[in-house]
Formats: sequence, C-alpha cells, structure tokens
Amino acid sequence: MSYVAIKGGGRAIQGAEELLEYLRCEQGEGGLPLDLATIKSQLRFLHGRVMAEGGLYHPDLAALAIKQFMGDSLEASFALRAYRSTKPRLAETPCLDTGSMRLVRRISSAFKDIPGGQMLGASTDFSLRLLRMELLDESPERFQEVAAAWLKNMPADQVPDTFPKVLDHLRQEGLLPQVDIPEGKAPFDITREPLIFPVPRSAALATMSRAETGSLLALAYSNMRGYGDIHPTVAEMRVGYLPMLLPHPISGEAMEVGEVLITECEVVAMYEENDSGGTPHFTLGYGACFGHNEVKALAMAVLDRSLQKGMKGGPANPSEDPEFVLLHVDGIDSMGFCTHYKMPHYVTFQSDMDRLRTTQQNLADHKGQEVTA
Amino acid sequence: MTKNPHPITVPDGRPTWHRALNALEPAELSAEIEPLTNGWQITLRALPQSGLAMLKIRESACAEPFYLGETPLSTAWLTIRTPDGLEAEGAAQVMTDNLEQARTMAICDAILSARLPGHELVSTLVGQGWQRCQAADQKRKAMLTATRVDFSLLDDVGESHED
Repeated sequence: MSYVAIKGGGRAIQGAEELLEYLRCEQGEGGLPLDLATIKSQLRFLHGRVMAEGGLYHPDLAALAIKQFMGDSLEASFALRAYRSTKPRLAETPCLDTGSMRLVRRISSAFKDIPGGQMLGASTDFSLRLLRMELLDESPERFQEVAAAWLKNMPADQVPDTFPKVLDHLRQEGLLPQVDIPEGKAPFDITREPLIFPVPRSAALATMSRAETGSLLALAYSNMRGYGDIHPTVAEMRVGYLPMLLPHPISGEAMEVGEVLITECEVVAMYEENDSGGTPHFTLGYGACFGHNEVKALAMAVLDRSLQKGMKGGPANPSEDPEFVLLHVDGIDSMGFCTHYKMPHYVTFQSDMDRLRTTQQNLADHKGQEVTA
Repeated sequence: MTKNPHPITVPDGRPTWHRALNALEPAELSAEIEPLTNGWQITLRALPQSGLAMLKIRESACAEPFYLGETPLSTAWLTIRTPDGLEAEGAAQVMTDNLEQARTMAICDAILSARLPGHELVSTLVGQGWQRCQAADQKRKAMLTATRVDFSLLDDVGESHED
C-alpha cells in the first residue's frame, strides 16, 4: 500500500451532504419542518447553550443553527461563531450592572431570608427525574391549554423591578472585602487577541462565558471532588433579562436597544487570611453566560475562584491552572481538533507504518543474529 | 394595528419610546409609519449599518468589567424635511439584523423629538408597545410571585433543612 491521492472524492462529499439533508427531512409527508419559534420556546435550554457557546446572542440564528445541524450543539455554536466573524463590530456597551436584570429566578443556598426573598422560577431542582409518559402522545389542544391555564391564573402580586444582590448584603456585614471599581481598565477581548499567558481575569471570564458547558463542568467537578478546595456556597443564582444599553447617537442618553437572557452565579468560597494582618474575608467566584444555564454559571464561578487562587499562589491542581483550563474549555476549538482526526492522514500514517515495519525488521534481524551467534 | 382602547400612562422620553417601539412587530410598525413619510425628504446622516455590539458587564465579585459576548445591532441616523419645511433629526440602534427596522425607529425618533406631523400616531404606537413591555414585565413578576419560597412554614413545623 502506498500514498494515493484522492480522486473522485468530490462526488462522495456532495452525496454525503445531500444524504444529511435527506435525513433532516426524512419524515417526508408525515412531518413538518421545525419552525424557529418552536426551537426557541420548546428547546430553550439547548437554544441558550448554543448562543452562549457561539458567543453571540442572536435568538433567530441560534434557532436556525439548531435546526440546520439537527440539534448538534457543537456544530450549531460553531456556525453561529462563524457567522459572527463575518460581521463588523459597530458598538460596545458601557459597563452594565447586572443588578438591573429583570429576574425570573433568584435563589441562594447561603441564607434562607435573602433581601427580597427567594423565588424558584422555572426549575427542575425539585423534580423527580421520571419520564412523563403522557407527553408521548401530547395533543396540540392539551399543549395550548397548559399555557392558557397558567396565564389565566397568573398571580398579580407586586414585586420590585429589580432586587438587591446577596453579595452587597455580605459586604455590608463586613464578611467580604470592599471593592474599588477600577476606572478606565479595558477588558481583554478574546475575539481579537490570542490568549498568551499570563492573561488578566477578564480574559478568563470571557473565555469561560463562551466555553462548552460539559468542559467547564468536568474541570469544576474535579475541583469539587477533591482536586482542589474551593468548597463553594451559592450566595446567589439569578436568571433574568439584562437590558442592553447604548448611548443614543444624538442625545447620548442611555437607550435600551434590546434585552439579553443571562444566568449569573456568585459563589462564596473559603475565607482567606489577610497577608498584611488585616481582617480576613470570604473569597468569591463569579460565573455568567447567555441563556438559562445554571450548571455552566455555577461551574464557571467555581473555576473563577480556583483560577484566582492559582494565579496568586501558583496552581496546585489542574483546575487552578489558567493555561490548562482556558485552553481546553472552548467547545469549538476542542471539537475542531478532535474531529480533524477523521480527515485523511494517509501520508503521516504511511510514515508511521514504515517506521514500525523497519523497527520490526530491525528487531527480527537482531534476534536472528543472536540465534546465529 | 388597532388603537388602544385603554390608554395607559407612558413615561415620556427617548428611553421609553425606543423600548416601547422595539416591542412592536417590525412589519406592523413599518406599515404604520411608511404612509406618514410620503413626500418627506429623508437624508441619511450616517450610513445605516448592520453588525454586532459587544456586551460589557461588571462582575460582582471584584467589580471587574469583562465581555460576556456579542449581539446583533443595526443602526440608522437620518434627517427629515417635511413639505412644510420642518426639519428634524432622528437615530436608532436596535438589537437586530433588520436595517429597515432601525430606519423606521429612527424616523419615529425624529417625529417624536420634533413633534412632526404624525406624532400623535407614533405616540399611540409607543403606548401600544409600552403596554406589551408592561405585560412582559408582569408575566416575569408573576413567575417570581408564583414560586416565592415561604420559609416561615418550614420554621413552624421544625423542618428547616439546612446543610
């Protein structure tokens, strides 16, 4: 066997693409194409995940990507990120305060009675993981009735537009260090600059915000299980819509150009002695991402804290090593590198085989010489 | 688009106009606004653009800014001159790829800021949009209210499960 240039592959590739398109439409007359509103509404967690991992909050195109790639979240976020790379950057928001989020969920595992109260919102936290067999044959009428009934019985109690943060409460109690808002410090832009270590914390946060959920979870889990000692307590987990503000071109007033669904998590970790003899305080980790994805926000918060620890005192575990964490959590990078192994490697593999055969032959020759001797 | 039979109090000012008009269907808004502009001279102050905006937030552990990700953005900035010689400038930025929507919003911005002919209609549209915003806010608040945890019940029966 020797190196053979591929000829005629073009037809096979075209056939593979046509076959993929056939599989998307395989239901034929018995099926209907997925509409984007259905994906956005009924596959909302997948949809949010694709926007976060694609790094682009574009609900319509994220739904399109999910449809086109038949639910493959890595491919869908890849397509979304490819799309964003073709568009010019027109603006950058001022530094927005997530305290202005229009919340739909807010919990804390640190205190029962957080200022403003705890609201579970839509959550599977307390659900049994049992299949609901009645959904196997769900009628459109029943489906619509569920929504109508909830809206009809919607409680009308007044709640505030925004809620105070639990961290602010802890700061007032003196349990957290006071923070000085850094002036004029531009964050690291991972879409324009390569990660050359050491990188600032803003680079780590931006990288983890668009990281693949499973990758973040795996590394954070390693810390939770024992390869680290963050021991997080969730000060607050918030899900809600952040008004996106930009200055009006004429008046300069802050204008809402749209809103973005985000998940935000703050964890309190072990307290730290103050090196200069000052008051010890709890340490903190922060996570946030597009969409409703609590596992990602919490895993990111744990990793943020572990990376801060590693940056300060040197990494003692993989999850404390910025280079190890940040270079391995991007789903598109890692998926691309992984799947490139499916591409033809005929030349390199031919070389590997030649070397193996030569080594085998050398060994056989050596043994033959020993027997003869 | 029908007139709102129950007028609601709409806060005045550009931030409200834009959020409210953004809540309307772009095609609906365009269908209402286009007839108003017949015979108007509309000049672009800046080239309408469709691209991205980078979202920068301040994280709450150390108050450091960082980039969460990007969103689509369309912008329009124009000047209107009516046949009566009235002139006004309007601009809009919208989280969408739809340039036409940004242009329509910029026209509304000019009409409202200079009270050009048709501002009553645009004000009505602002009212309708604001009502939709209020309805969305109310629904979200109901999600919170319906799932508020009452820990006092746990305390009463001594079932406080604290780890």
